[in-house]
Amino acid sequence: MNVEKRAAEMSPVVITPPSSLELPNFRELWEYRGLIFFMVRRDIKLRFQQTVIGFLWIVLQPLLLMLIFSAIFGIMMRVPTNGIPFHIFFLSGFVVWQFFSQVVNNSALSLVGNIHVIVKSYFPRLALPLSTVANALIDFAVSFIVFLVFLLIDGSYPITGRYLLLPVLLAITIFFSSGVGLLFGALMVVFRDTKNLLSFILMIWMYLTPIIYPVSLAPEQYRFLFYFNPLTSLVDSYRWMFLGVGDLPKVSYLVISLSVAIVIWFCGAIAFKAMENKIADIL
Amino acid sequence: MSRLAVKTENVWKEYRIRHALEGPQGSFKAVLNAPFNWLMRRAEKKPLFQQSERFFALKDVSFEIEHGESVGLIGRNGAGKSTLLKMLSRITRPSRGKITIYERVNALLEVGTGFNTELSGRENIYLNGSFLGMQTLEIRSKFDEIVDFSEIEQFIDTPVKYYSSGMFVRLAFSVAVHLTPELLLIDETLSVGDAGFQQKSMTKMKELLGSGATIILVSHSDRTINDICKRAIWLERGSVQMDGPSADVEESYRKFLVDPAPFSI
Repeated sequence: MNVEKRAAEMSPVVITPPSSLELPNFRELWEYRGLIFFMVRRDIKLRFQQTVIGFLWIVLQPLLLMLIFSAIFGIMMRVPTNGIPFHIFFLSGFVVWQFFSQVVNNSALSLVGNIHVIVKSYFPRLALPLSTVANALIDFAVSFIVFLVFLLIDGSYPITGRYLLLPVLLAITIFFSSGVGLLFGALMVVFRDTKNLLSFILMIWMYLTPIIYPVSLAPEQYRFLFYFNPLTSLVDSYRWMFLGVGDLPKVSYLVISLSVAIVIWFCGAIAFKAMENKIADIL
Repeated sequence: MSRLAVKTENVWKEYRIRHALEGPQGSFKAVLNAPFNWLMRRAEKKPLFQQSERFFALKDVSFEIEHGESVGLIGRNGAGKSTLLKMLSRITRPSRGKITIYERVNALLEVGTGFNTELSGRENIYLNGSFLGMQTLEIRSKFDEIVDFSEIEQFIDTPVKYYSSGMFVRLAFSVAVHLTPELLLIDETLSVGDAGFQQKSMTKMKELLGSGATIILVSHSDRTINDICKRAIWLERGSVQMDGPSADVEESYRKFLVDPAPFSI
């Protein structure tokens, strides 16, 4: 019988008390890829269904922000951006920030926000923050296209071979953002007021990242402080790639950044896994 | 040589109960306030460290269930039946002990797991089916049958928020009915709906048993248990009181409910 055959092929699942150091199970995530796909699709559909303008919102968001920031910081306050038109300067950093903040914010909320299915069915909980990444990639793609349109209109910043760096930079961005998101996601389970703290942290973090200003604006002896923020050098690299400004990122820097980002991701994943076991009990 | 479906070995489940005095569950504010609270308690000469009370939902539970068996979990409210079922569904993990599951599990713990009312019936079939453990291909191949069985073909593309409660239950049930489980875990809360609907559920469960599925069912209804389950495990306050043929266990359990005195629990 079909049922007999399948059961015999399967290796038994052993359920034991949770330990604090469990690594994510990638094979299991692959097994549940169907469910993950539907969850991602659901999240995307829900985003459009609840707004009047629907899909247009994904395009409008970076556009509107660009207009407002350009008007205030570019025209009114005249923030010097080293000869680059403000809106281009802004967007080149904003695409990165948007991805990071979206992943961190939504990953943190993902466990608590999906509690109703967590307590009634089993699936690898890591799927929840990871589906956040899929969503954010879509937003990134749209913002990226909007940005390319403006680059084309401006004409001074053609697409060059530098863009080959994109996969590497994207990998660093994804691992780092997801890792931080997982850490906050884990924190959310234990401390419910993390949500408020996170909004505040992200707001401050954005101003500490050179998105609406170049690092060169800071007095020389203080510039190094900005580099404690991992996003600073990442944004620098993106700007080099898009606009050809600044120094060529060294291979050593890229390798180190990617490795650190991956380590951060695993730390986040382990913390998250430790907390995911508690969530069905706490909530 | 019959095959095992589930084996639980000395399983314990412990919960910590927080008392209202400790404030809201975990917050940075609580952490920051901790030194002040400590000083206050010291001033009032109260015990310095508040112990959270430990509550054992399950105590040293061990049993084996073979492939194809139908087992009922019975007991009073709070005895640990749903906790055990959640554990077998991998939703929660034991504090001590080990559970080994040798078959593919489909857990039906509520009606319409994962349903999102903003989405259409069609989309929810895929979503709900996935949460119940069906593969995408499986859902796709059974899609038409599922829609037929639910009798809401007309509304399959309308958002579920516009469905009546009856339609909702019919659709959710229809998805569940098309599972081909190896090991099926059911919580009694599935007995929503009218008598006709309940009849359909019973028929389906017997059908599944006939095709070789293993069923573990939590129920308060002795009729259901006696009808569907050959074996019953009686839990009281987290421990296994009795484990045997359902008629015998049910009888003892009912006697206990009437007069607990003779039972040394």
